[in-house]
Amino acid sequence: MNIAAPVRLPAGKADLSRQAEALRPTHMNAQPILRVVDLKKTFDGFTALDSVNLTVDDGEFLAIVGPSGSGKTTLIRLLVGMEEQTSGEIWLRDSRIDNVPANKRPTCMVFQSLALFPHRSVGENIEFPLKIRGVDPALRRARALELLDLVRLPQHYYGKRIQQCSGGERQRVALARALAFDPEILFFDEPLSALDFRLRKMLEKELKDLHQRTGKTFIYITHSLEEAMVMSDRIAIMRSGRFEQLGPAEEIYAKPKSRFVAEFMGEVNLFRANGNGGTVSFEHVTVDPAAAAKRGLRPGFSGDLMARPESVRLLKPGERADVMATGIVESEYLLGSRVQYLVRLASGYKVTVELSRENRVTWEPGQSMGVGFDLDRAHLIQEA
Amino acid sequence: MERINQRLGVLSALPVVVFLAAGFLAPLCVVAAFSIMPQKVFSLANLPDFSSYALMIQEGYWESLLVSLAMAFAATFILFVICWPLAFAMAKVFGRFTLVLTIGVVMTLFVSENIRLFGWVLTLMKGGLIEGYWRSWTGQSFDGLLYNVPVIIFGLVYVYLPFMLFPLAQGIAMVPDDARQAAFDLGANRWQIFREVELPLSAPGIAVGCLITFVLTAGAIAESKLLGGRAVIVISDEIERSFTYGQNWPLGSALAMTLIAVVGSFAIFGVTRIDLDAIMGRKR
Amino acid sequence: MHPSNVGRIGLYLYGILILAFLYLPLVAIGFASVSTSRYLSFPIRQYTTQWYAQALESGTVSDLLWISLQVAAIVTVISMVLGFFGALAFARYQWRYRRLYQKLILLPIFFPQSVLGLALLMWFNAVGITPTWHTAIIAHLVWIAPIATLIIAIRAYSFDPALEEAARDMGCSTWQILREVTLPLLMPGVVAAGLFSFLLSWGNFPLSLFTTGADLTLPEWLYAKMVSGYSPLVPTVGMLSVAASIVLVAIALALPPLINRFTRNSSD
Repeated sequence: MNIAAPVRLPAGKADLSRQAEALRPTHMNAQPILRVVDLKKTFDGFTALDSVNLTVDDGEFLAIVGPSGSGKTTLIRLLVGMEEQTSGEIWLRDSRIDNVPANKRPTCMVFQSLALFPHRSVGENIEFPLKIRGVDPALRRARALELLDLVRLPQHYYGKRIQQCSGGERQRVALARALAFDPEILFFDEPLSALDFRLRKMLEKELKDLHQRTGKTFIYITHSLEEAMVMSDRIAIMRSGRFEQLGPAEEIYAKPKSRFVAEFMGEVNLFRANGNGGTVSFEHVTVDPAAAAKRGLRPGFSGDLMARPESVRLLKPGERADVMATGIVESEYLLGSRVQYLVRLASGYKVTVELSRENRVTWEPGQSMGVGFDLDRAHLIQEA
Repeated sequence: MERINQRLGVLSALPVVVFLAAGFLAPLCVVAAFSIMPQKVFSLANLPDFSSYALMIQEGYWESLLVSLAMAFAATFILFVICWPLAFAMAKVFGRFTLVLTIGVVMTLFVSENIRLFGWVLTLMKGGLIEGYWRSWTGQSFDGLLYNVPVIIFGLVYVYLPFMLFPLAQGIAMVPDDARQAAFDLGANRWQIFREVELPLSAPGIAVGCLITFVLTAGAIAESKLLGGRAVIVISDEIERSFTYGQNWPLGSALAMTLIAVVGSFAIFGVTRIDLDAIMGRKR
Repeated sequence: MHPSNVGRIGLYLYGILILAFLYLPLVAIGFASVSTSRYLSFPIRQYTTQWYAQALESGTVSDLLWISLQVAAIVTVISMVLGFFGALAFARYQWRYRRLYQKLILLPIFFPQSVLGLALLMWFNAVGITPTWHTAIIAHLVWIAPIATLIIAIRAYSFDPALEEAARDMGCSTWQILREVTLPLLMPGVVAAGLFSFLLSWGNFPLSLFTTGADLTLPEWLYAKMVSGYSPLVPTVGMLSVAASIVLVAIALALPPLINRFTRNSSD
């Protein structure tokens, strides 16, 4: 079983056509490239990773998101072979790779610190994995120049020193070096976290574009949800060493499986169901029984009613909604194209309302205001 | 990774560990063994006794040890006071001058201690640099400044200055500027900042500096011989003389073991409380 | 909160004062080495370079230089190798007995050198080795190899372990990582350690005293002359030894910028 990365060189035209072909999303009709079975990792009694199961399709862009300490870094280090699992299996296509050391795995990672070699030029950095494989210097150089093109760096950067490159340029060099390795799966360990906001936004889009053009499988870990949403096909939310939810970005945003995911995925209004008796009711708000029945809410439902701020509206006098409450407007925040209101209900609970800018209202401090939303724009989080 | 680290760690430590085991630990064992041999033997093939230790106490050799320790203590204290302002300036005030100073101070380390102390002899003796010029300018003569206890301590301070200066500077460099500025902002004066912020935060550097100076000065010999003219006999001198003039290896070994025990317990006490990784600038 | 300008100037003056204090004895030796009189007395009335001529012609002095040079050169090479690997174990790899190992490395540095020299003498005697300048190499290494280890360790601490991990991730074997990444990155530390090793061995007296047997190194000879009465050759040879150190340091300081300039030109 030889799973060492094949030297697909010279790259030349064949490679370019492969890239062209890859312009369409390939993950639609794909087969699993990576399978993780019951992966577990403990450090001195502390469980960093608790039975993770995961299947990744060929050509997919998967983002793993979680707060720090959730185990995402441990997971990625296990996948590339820099740590050994306590138990479980990792399969790459048809070969089990969890006992293969990092230097024999056909995977490659872009580090958080980028780990560019400061004693080597840009070109030498990019050629490094090829040099290790004993590729002929002329071929190496040709491939490095090609990759500079791919990551949109000018050819004369070949001889530049790493210290002369800006943050964004280094990012591209690191990417080119990882691509030179030609890995089966490319891993990213929060490589954009050190960059400023605008550069990050730009590189996020470029990375997504590069994913499309190369057709490679990308697995990206980050603590930034926005980053994950912009780039990835699927998002996995991690918490305390487990996947809390795994699915397309849209699904995770609109239909979180738990309060944790709901709150992690941005601002949210949550109303807990009151467990008592024959009617359906929630804390802080009144729900129209007919609408509730229509939505299939049965008495005895336990869990939360969730409404994103953009689903909630400020009610004009006399206006009705499926779910309603009255409160006092506390503050208004301008978010550019959108505007947010914080409304304090009589119970003390604060509802966040987000409107587009043209719907901005005039209000007095202490003014009473109705808020509400319809159930078809809300999501029910059933308690497990 | 842990397993690789473990293996590489052991492998790369191996050469130097093997070397030190043969070149450092083994000789210490020989000294320890000789210290319990009967008087004036030159081989370990004798019945052990503790006559050397008894002799050491009876003949008052322990007084030399006390002298050495007292001078080491004095030198360490003086060095701390002298070096603190300079170490502070090197860590926080000087820019490029720190490099100049570092090179300047390190350079002196490369000149044999003997030569530098000999230079002081030429400077301080009667007819030396100081007295000679003083006499030619003022016409008044005075005795040389050599051959007393203070000049030995002076010599210790001179020779071991770098060993206090660099650890102190390193320790002070570990004090974040923010912390000092915050204390200043909160109304602390210079002395309070020193006592409440700098001293505790640079404690590892202070500990290393004081420890290394104390240990080295306690075992120093050349200062008392060259500058002190044996005004007092230090412990290392006693040890050396037991081996050379005295031809009594067991006695010398017993004295050496005592010195090692006293100084070693200081060193071990200090070293186990210091996070070496932090002092030496670990990144993570 | 920066010191006032007066405080700043005071600190600079203090620094210069300390430097002057450190170099004053060397100045005295320098003067002594060019004094005509056989029995030194300041102020010096007549200057001469005859002692330098005499020292340079002397066969004894050149023998001493040769022995000191051989010892220092061999100590340098061995301590660079021991120090390189020793520093990796000290700073880079996380292994179980690292803390204990760090203390073992520190012990010889913290140890009174004259006692160490005697201990080694007894050890050589016990295993039946006759001390010559070869054994002095071992004695120097016991003290200098740990220092070299510490110097390289400082460099090893400051590099990102992710660099080695990245190299491994891209298919490097352990040897390839050492050759392609670790060694080039630690090189400045290794060179500095080499410089220190050479100079510390060159100037060492207490260890040499007991471990060279019948051979003499330069510092030993100087000491013997110092205690047996004044000779004008003592300051002269002392100055020559200092000059040799200065030349070596100057070369070491001048070389990296030169190499940099050279490689930058060639890469463009």
